[in-house]
Amino acid sequence: MSVQPTPTDEPGGGAGAFLGQVISGAALLVLLTLHMIAQHFVLPEGLRDYASVIEWVANPIVVVLELSFLAFVTWHALLGLRAIVFDYGFSPSTERWITRTFVVIGVVTVVYGTWLMYAIVSAA
Amino acid sequence: MSGQRPAAPVATAGPVERRRGWTGWFDPRGRRLGGWAFALNRLTGLGLVAYLYLHLGVLFLLSQGPDGWDAFVDVALSPPILVMDVVLIFGMLLHGLNGIRVGLVGYGMVATRQGALFVGLMIIGAIVLLAATLRVFA
Repeated sequence: MSVQPTPTDEPGGGAGAFLGQVISGAALLVLLTLHMIAQHFVLPEGLRDYASVIEWVANPIVVVLELSFLAFVTWHALLGLRAIVFDYGFSPSTERWITRTFVVIGVVTVVYGTWLMYAIVSAA
Repeated sequence: MSGQRPAAPVATAGPVERRRGWTGWFDPRGRRLGGWAFALNRLTGLGLVAYLYLHLGVLFLLSQGPDGWDAFVDVALSPPILVMDVVLIFGMLLHGLNGIRVGLVGYGMVATRQGALFVGLMIIGAIVLLAATLRVFA
């Protein structure tokens, strides 16, 4: 019998986590495509030097898009990691601690990225 | 009642007991296309998470002024790093396109044609990867 992932039997948290992966994944399809094209495929050199990065992030729309990208990619990545960890089989209380740990890692990641964006924009 | 969830669902042709976690991802016994896609999705996902934090670390150089960043850009444009860029794009395409299949199948859409969907998405991915590779080394 071929077993396929469904919202109820997808490993790592059930229907809610699966829906989270789908929503964040769909957002990433758009945001990652924009990020890759803007950062690596627009300029002839293929990568932005410092001056062009500073000029680029001076645009508030770029800041919003990049921070949205960071939030969605962190959410998606840590939900995925949590699913892999959960595959090893833990008690519900241990799973709650694992979830809290990933939430803390995610918050730290987004705060760090936001601070980094602020530092870069401040230099503009 | 142990209160524990069952191991990850994997595509099997029979009652195959797999090891939990990553050691079971590449167990070939009874594995169909969906099972290999599941394993590849997790493997590429782990690589992309590692890259995410590497990327965030490297971007710290931007906060230190032009000297550090522009020196990094020179290194990043060297052929070995460009090859790694192509590997990264391969991982993103595989994970992203297969993720579309997982999302659709997970909600009961195209469940009976998921093999054809996977092959079709991978053909699209191969075309995009070829174009991206040409762009990276242009």
